[in-house]
Amino acid sequence: MNPAHAADAAGYSAPTGDVILFAVMAAWVTFFALFTITRRNPVTAVMSLVATFFGLAAIYASLDAHFLAVLQVLVYAGAIMVLFIFVVMILNREEVAPLALRPTRILGVVAAAYLLYVFASVVGFGDKAAPTMAGPPVVAETYGTVAAIGGILFREYLYPFEAISLLLLVAIVGGVVVSRSHQKEVAALRAADYRKRVEELAEHDYPGTQEEPTATAGGHH
Amino acid sequence: MPSAYYLVLSFVLFLIGTAGVLLRRNALIVLMGIELQINGGNLALLAFARQLGDQKGHVFAFLVIALAAAEAAVGLAILVGLFRSRQTINLDEATLMKR
Amino acid sequence: MTFPLRLIPLLPFLGATVLMLFGRKWARDTVFVIAALAIGAACLVSLDAFFLVLPGTGAGGLSDVVMTWIATGDLHVDLAFRMDALSGVMCLVITFIGFLIHVFSAGYMAEEPDYARFFAYLNLFCGAMLVLVLGDSLPVMFIGWEGVGLCSYLLIGFWYSVTANADAGKKAFITNRIGDLGFLIGMFLLFYYTGTLSVPDITSAAVAPHSGLLTPFMGMPVAFWVAIFLFIGATGKSAQIPLYVWLPDAMAGPTPVSALIHAATMVTAGVYMIARMHAIYVMVPSAMAIVAVVGAATALFAAIIGFAQNDFKKVLAYSTVSQLGFMFAGVGTSNFDGGIFHLVTHAFFKAGLFLCAGSVMHAMSGSGDIRIMGGLRKKLPWTHGVFFVCWLAICGIPIFSGFFSKDSIIAGSFATEIYGEGLAWVGKLVGVMLMLAALGTAFYMSRLYFLVFSGDETRADDHTRHHIHESPPIMTGPLVVLAIGATLIGFIGLPADLWHHPEQNLLAHELEPVLEAGWVGPHLEVSHNTELIFMLVSTLIAFAGIGAAAAFYRGGYKEPARAFAAKFPGFVRLVQDKFRIDELYDFLIIRPIRAFSRGLFTFVDRIIVDKILVEGTGVVVDVFSRIARAVQGGDGQRYMAVFTIGVALLVHFATQPTLPFSKLKVTQTGRAVEVDARRGNRAPTRALEYAFDFGDGRPVVKGSAPEQRHDYDRPGSYTIHVKISDPLWGTEDAFKEKVEVR
Repeated sequence: MNPAHAADAAGYSAPTGDVILFAVMAAWVTFFALFTITRRNPVTAVMSLVATFFGLAAIYASLDAHFLAVLQVLVYAGAIMVLFIFVVMILNREEVAPLALRPTRILGVVAAAYLLYVFASVVGFGDKAAPTMAGPPVVAETYGTVAAIGGILFREYLYPFEAISLLLLVAIVGGVVVSRSHQKEVAALRAADYRKRVEELAEHDYPGTQEEPTATAGGHH
Repeated sequence: MPSAYYLVLSFVLFLIGTAGVLLRRNALIVLMGIELQINGGNLALLAFARQLGDQKGHVFAFLVIALAAAEAAVGLAILVGLFRSRQTINLDEATLMKR
Repeated sequence: MTFPLRLIPLLPFLGATVLMLFGRKWARDTVFVIAALAIGAACLVSLDAFFLVLPGTGAGGLSDVVMTWIATGDLHVDLAFRMDALSGVMCLVITFIGFLIHVFSAGYMAEEPDYARFFAYLNLFCGAMLVLVLGDSLPVMFIGWEGVGLCSYLLIGFWYSVTANADAGKKAFITNRIGDLGFLIGMFLLFYYTGTLSVPDITSAAVAPHSGLLTPFMGMPVAFWVAIFLFIGATGKSAQIPLYVWLPDAMAGPTPVSALIHAATMVTAGVYMIARMHAIYVMVPSAMAIVAVVGAATALFAAIIGFAQNDFKKVLAYSTVSQLGFMFAGVGTSNFDGGIFHLVTHAFFKAGLFLCAGSVMHAMSGSGDIRIMGGLRKKLPWTHGVFFVCWLAICGIPIFSGFFSKDSIIAGSFATEIYGEGLAWVGKLVGVMLMLAALGTAFYMSRLYFLVFSGDETRADDHTRHHIHESPPIMTGPLVVLAIGATLIGFIGLPADLWHHPEQNLLAHELEPVLEAGWVGPHLEVSHNTELIFMLVSTLIAFAGIGAAAAFYRGGYKEPARAFAAKFPGFVRLVQDKFRIDELYDFLIIRPIRAFSRGLFTFVDRIIVDKILVEGTGVVVDVFSRIARAVQGGDGQRYMAVFTIGVALLVHFATQPTLPFSKLKVTQTGRAVEVDARRGNRAPTRALEYAFDFGDGRPVVKGSAPEQRHDYDRPGSYTIHVKISDPLWGTEDAFKEKVEVR
């Protein structure tokens, strides 16, 4: 599939179209990611996130993760982002001041950036290169195919698979429960509130006549 | 094609996602930042899987995607609930726990 | 030999249970029949058993083991009953007199709404008392001991809606309890030093050659302490000095209760106990001396108090205390037969006296004040007759039972040899005190008789006077039986030497096998002449007392009485106030305890427990949660930011080759310098790379050695740079130090 594979058999290769391709895709992904988090309009943000995911799918493909690339498009860009769009449509509000630039948070971002620096040096990027990462090995033809992944998934990873389905069930139920309308509860709470206020008024006007809280209004005493 | 490039890209994605989570007020954007973080992780997983020639990383990433789906669903449901009771999704206004 | 002795206490217990559960719904007659039947049946079974026990018919003791009660470690106690002559006599007294009192109560309590409860308690009491006397071991006896204490409380405070009655019940129970502590300590000591609590085993342990009971403890053999502690229990239960104060107050209960419990049975438990444990007591004559002296002192003291009491039942109460003193003096002078004999005779005549009191109070519309009585001789013929007989008995007029028993004790105290040479005077002292007490007894009982029955007029008001009537037969019947008993029962204990017939004294003869076990040492023997002398002296004393009382009170308050009261008003009032012993106890004991409790309450309960422990815990939790809360503002993004910062810091410090704030160690000797870059390094297992630049233009020394030596050529001021790099993480640290070289 990938022309780079043939070159890999010889080991390390010089910057080829491979690298350029990667650079382009990386730029695409980074750009749209930045775009996402800096938009004021949520719809725009969602769209650019979708674009990010497409770019990521391409990168997955370049990593010989074909199955996952398709999955990324179908599930992530297709389903999850659609869900986001639904919600965005319901709650479409624009922010006045999008960014909350508070000291702790900025420091947090800085810390994350530092972590990136450490990470980069660990994986051998930059002039501190301790080359811990050699070139990728040769892989079989069936690498990253549906069949191969399916085989692992339903054999060694059967329990996690079942667990994940259970998790999805829980998520569905949880979603339904969380977004339930609490009208009946609210009504009951309001009624109790009303009764309490009536009693307080009665106590105020006719002190000492209140025996126990009853369902009827204080006027019966 | 050294894996280091992919890995750094994954961390960059993660970093962008973190920035989005920490610095935005709109809850929806925050959730999207979380998605970016997750995807950064996924990319790292697949890069290592390719590096080591092991497909278990793929399976792991698959499960992560399923998990992200569930998390997004529930998170959005909570968001909708928040909106219903507070009429806002501005996280700066969700300060009931503060004195 | 076994016999179903368990029936004897069981029948009254069953009666009590049945009556407590269902009595309220049944007719009074049914209730009475059940109760009387229970106690009557117990009496019959006791009789049956008793005749098996008598030495003549040969048996030597019946036993009935119900079950193994305690079996842990070294302690083995069975729930078992044993009847020998001693407990047999007690059983008969309890069941027979108990039966009579049940019958009397049917009439006396006829209008009582809580009829069933009364009879239930009466039955319960009888059951507990029977357990006490039939118990084969001290724990079983203690069950009965406690049980009668409980029933005493229940019955004294029977009309509990009157606070004074409830208080009297409490006083009785609490005072008893103090005595019980002594009993328990005695038990513990016994078990510790003999390893057993069963009475036959203790008896044999007492006479064993190297008995554990002879172990010295604080200068006296253990047996002494056991005896003393058990006696303390007896002072509580049997109302001796110092724990007698509850008995007069106990008159707040219904009169049948006073008759049964506080005259005939419960209060005699102490005497029985000492007779039972005689093996211990005869080992330590000094303890017996204490018992005898306390008994005699109580007898005298209570008799004096009786001189000035104005309540019928109170006079009798102090009389009981006094007569119990006689009994203790008896057993204290090793006259166990005499003590038990007096117990039996006293049961009859005192019960008779009390029931007469009930009859009189019934006639006087509930009043017991003897100041308003008088002339009842004609109006209450039956009651008068019974009282007359019992009066003569208690004063010690010959032929009547009290004469023989009292005389036995007085003679015995002079003739005893148990104390040995050193303490021989104790017997004489006791004897003299008892004679004085007998004189007093005659006086105050005669005072009572004359004030109540003699004369022609009743000093009460008209209304009361018109209601005076004799009691119905159901009440007078038992009275007569008791009077007959008071007359005749003396003949079971005729002095052995009187007609030179050793088996004259039936009672002593029966008790002999029981008392022989465990008794080594001088036994009591009263010579013929001594006996006669004391009989004569006792009679004289009795008549003297009666005569004096007659002079003072015959037919009412006469001139000598008034003159005395006028001359010594303070003394009269002191005696009337029972020498203010109760007030003394209140001052010495009760008030400090109350103050202490109040202090405890305010300090410990309010402050320590409520404030510090309870509220304090809450406050501590609150403070900590406030602190914890301050950290959280609910801002999730802030959490994440802090989290990220934390992770970054963690990663940073984990990947450095040296710890933060670490320094180089530079030692200088002349122109040579030693640099030690090890200080502050992480794990020595980490292979780090060092680069030393000594600042004098020489090439940088690289390597993996943390120490480097360097000689400087020229003096001057140099800066040493050291770089430490970690190949694993690719990180680096740099240090520099200034150095002056001369």
